[in-house]
Amino acid sequence: MAQYSVVVVVAVTLNFLLPRLMPGNPLALIAGVDVGMLTPDQRADIVARVGLDAPLWLQYFRYWGDIFTGDFGFSFRSSRPIVDMIWERIPWTLLITGLSLVVSAVVGVLLGALSAWRRGTKGDLSMLSGMISVESLPSFWLGMVLISLFAVQWGLLPSFGAVTPASDLEGWAHVWDIISHAIMPVAALSIVGTPGVYMTMRYSMLETLGEDYIRTARAKGAGERRVLFGHVARNTIAPVITVLAIRLGFAFGGTVIIETVFSYPGLGRLVFEAVAGRDYPVMQAAFLVFTAAVLVANLLADLLYPLIDPRTRTS
Amino acid sequence: MTAGTAVAPPRDPAAVRPNLLEIENLFVRFELPTETVRAVSGVSLTVAPSETFALVGESGSGKSVSMLSVMGLLSSPPAVISGSIRLEGREVLGMSARRLRKYRGKDVAMVFQEPMSSLNPVHRVGRQIGESLRIHRGVSRAEARRQAIRLLDRVGIPSAKNRVDDYPHEFSGGMRQRAMIAMALACEPKLLIADEPTTALDVTVQAQIVDLVRELQAEYRLAVVWITHDLGVVAEIADRVAVMYAGRILETGQASDLYRATRHPYTSGLLRSIPRLDRSVTTRLAEIPGAPFRVVSELAACPFDDRCPLAGEGCQDALPELDTVGHGGHRSACIHHHQMGPASTLWPEGTVAGDQASADQAIDTVVSVRDLQVHFPIVRGLSRSRRRAIRAVDGVSLDVVRGQTLGIVGESGCGKTTLGRAMVALVRPTGGTIEINGKPINHRSGRHRRVVQMIFQDPFSAMNPGMRVEDVIAEPLRIHRLADTAAVRDRVTELLTQVGLPGDSGERYPHEFSGGQRQRIAVARALAADPEVVVCDEPVSSLDVSVQAQVINLLADLQARTGMAMVFIAHDLAVVRHVSHEVGVMYLGEIVEKAPRDQLYADPLHPYTKALLEAVPVPEPDYDTTRRTRLTGDVPSPADPPSGCRFHTRCPVAVEGLCSTVKPSLEEVTPGRWVSCHLVSPPAGHPAVAHLGLGE
Repeated sequence: MAQYSVVVVVAVTLNFLLPRLMPGNPLALIAGVDVGMLTPDQRADIVARVGLDAPLWLQYFRYWGDIFTGDFGFSFRSSRPIVDMIWERIPWTLLITGLSLVVSAVVGVLLGALSAWRRGTKGDLSMLSGMISVESLPSFWLGMVLISLFAVQWGLLPSFGAVTPASDLEGWAHVWDIISHAIMPVAALSIVGTPGVYMTMRYSMLETLGEDYIRTARAKGAGERRVLFGHVARNTIAPVITVLAIRLGFAFGGTVIIETVFSYPGLGRLVFEAVAGRDYPVMQAAFLVFTAAVLVANLLADLLYPLIDPRTRTS
Repeated sequence: MTAGTAVAPPRDPAAVRPNLLEIENLFVRFELPTETVRAVSGVSLTVAPSETFALVGESGSGKSVSMLSVMGLLSSPPAVISGSIRLEGREVLGMSARRLRKYRGKDVAMVFQEPMSSLNPVHRVGRQIGESLRIHRGVSRAEARRQAIRLLDRVGIPSAKNRVDDYPHEFSGGMRQRAMIAMALACEPKLLIADEPTTALDVTVQAQIVDLVRELQAEYRLAVVWITHDLGVVAEIADRVAVMYAGRILETGQASDLYRATRHPYTSGLLRSIPRLDRSVTTRLAEIPGAPFRVVSELAACPFDDRCPLAGEGCQDALPELDTVGHGGHRSACIHHHQMGPASTLWPEGTVAGDQASADQAIDTVVSVRDLQVHFPIVRGLSRSRRRAIRAVDGVSLDVVRGQTLGIVGESGCGKTTLGRAMVALVRPTGGTIEINGKPINHRSGRHRRVVQMIFQDPFSAMNPGMRVEDVIAEPLRIHRLADTAAVRDRVTELLTQVGLPGDSGERYPHEFSGGQRQRIAVARALAADPEVVVCDEPVSSLDVSVQAQVINLLADLQARTGMAMVFIAHDLAVVRHVSHEVGVMYLGEIVEKAPRDQLYADPLHPYTKALLEAVPVPEPDYDTTRRTRLTGDVPSPADPPSGCRFHTRCPVAVEGLCSTVKPSLEEVTPGRWVSCHLVSPPAGHPAVAHLGLGE
């Protein structure tokens, strides 16, 4: 727990300091190219409104207060409250990352287990080399290939967005609209995410199969099914959970490319837009959300571990 | 304990009863991608019901592989097995997977070497014991748990009812092995295979396990195959013995014949190279040259030929078969067995090169340790409180004298390794002082560290696998600028020759050497720094018996030549006796007895020293073991040592009201001899002392 609070403090502090350490006038950031045309009064007014006239420690203190009250300020570009912008993006990101995480976890674990169980056979080795090839595919390229085939060539799926714009669909038609827009991003993310889970599962299970206690179980007369589900499964899963937790944590940030390729209105695309438009407050807020996501995912893994391995329980 | 009433070996078991296990002409080879390893080459043996059969050999001799074949536990590929294995007349090789499952655990059960890794860490101990019953007898969960409690109780787990739901990591090493035995016995098999079951355990716990197996054997009418490299244990338990080497049986027969009328030079060499407590310490141990090897091509000659003092005409011509050489099925695979004279001429002991540190030499203290404490804090909880600590070393004082060896013995967890590491400045003491040549030890890196060097237990992990041997040895030379760049190579060659390796070995990498050779490289690395003190932490415990003697002799030779001081840390009392001038016995972070070697071994004063010595198995069949006092239980946690005398919870002679309350101090009872025990130097004026009349 102590580690977590340290990480939070460091992340927030860095987030606070970074824009203040950047060269240039903050006014230039806020007012853009028009900065030279501002009167001294206007300048003072802006500085006071944003709170930049206060001493640094007070600004830092206020920054913490803002974070606790969920006030991330306003976007430079759209002038909307950043909290609102993030909240409307989060469900879309969660939809595609959550689904793809489930898909790659299920497929990766099953194929990895199968591969390890048949270790050294042709099936195992061809699956392994297949996964290595998939792992080397760049995600943006994969996205473009999917679009050109399913959207452009065959016209089966929509190529961009999360819903059809200005369509006013309702009921099941609306649901299907969302699903059909999510299929390609989810597929791309799942394909890219599966090899990591597969490799971890395969390796972890090979380790477990070589353990002395598996030999003990066989010496007792345990059949293959009992060895697999009774002795191998639970000892294999811990490293896989670590990988999935890391993936879950980065799922928020790791979708920038895919969401951009599919013009999907998630957090990743928000960040892309913010970077392109130098919308620093939005970037800062998004980075805080990413940090929080990584921490929550790690916490989840830490809480799961003792349930799986009694040796990690503290008495 | 029924140690003395063990079943007497029947005269000729084969004639009395039909055999339980019959192995005929067993061959096992592993077809690996790079080579074919021939692990077992033509082994035949029989085991009678309720007999104890010992299978003895060094690493790679094929002893475990033969027995894993009996269990049907070798996976093929890569294993290719031929021959015949019959249990009660039923053929095991080629059994269907379904029948094999019904046979394993029910007819034959196995106990393995490492009790920690052999138990599933995520399942409760009771569930793992009950699992056999669930598989073979289909009993309910509740019934399996009830039986597990009964079995745990039977194998001597105190308050079994409360421990049945523990996880393996909550058990001590000895308890884990007891649990493994309980698991093996759950379905009352006819044959128990024990694969080095005590090798990973302390000598005191080993004695307990040996007693337990003997008791259970009588109770369950169990035949036991005991796989081991330790001829001491074999003498204590075995009715019959087979000695294996390079996948072949070289000698087999009744235990007493094998020990008293040895008919194979290898058996004789093994027996001679074990340091023993009941023999005078000669200057050097008899050693078998060379090392065991992996058999990769089919054997066509005697595999022991190149290490054998009897090797001569005919040894290279054909593979020698087992020939009857005596009564009771005593057979040997040596064509020159009739030429075997007494073991002492076959395997002479030799003398140490150079001068042994003589008594008239002035005593020159190199390392002086005073009241040393090393406590490791236990960090726990949200508050990260450090209130409790593991008291690994807790008030140790000792001196290491130039040209002499100080032996440190004790069970695992007694703090001996931590003490050794503190002397090399690898751990920081929390109290007390360590002085080297009168100067306090310095924990920073730098050239001052040259004076004290260390040799570690496991030569496999103690050197960087990516460095060539030359660089491993040259590193200290370079750090301490002990040789010019041009001279480094010559010095490395010289060091390699000194430790008995070919001078050109430097080109190769550590993994190309055997365990014994690697330990020689570790010795050369330590010597390269030209140290005044070498701390050896269990330097031979991971080596084969025949190789142990070589390394021990090497260390003795080097000490005689260079006059360096040594600290020799080991759990093996016989080895420590062989190399040490003075011995300190440690228990829970404290020295409980310290004395010149001969005094300590001839007349141990502390009850703990006595118990340790009595637990050492003697390689002599029919040795009277009945009068032994066995140490019960395990070493208590060093985080929470018992009050008063730390040993009182396990001491057979503890005085109530005294030992549990008053802490004894380390007193010099005769010059040079220190003991920390109320029964040796009673505290004046304590009521218990007056009551027992201890003061006289």
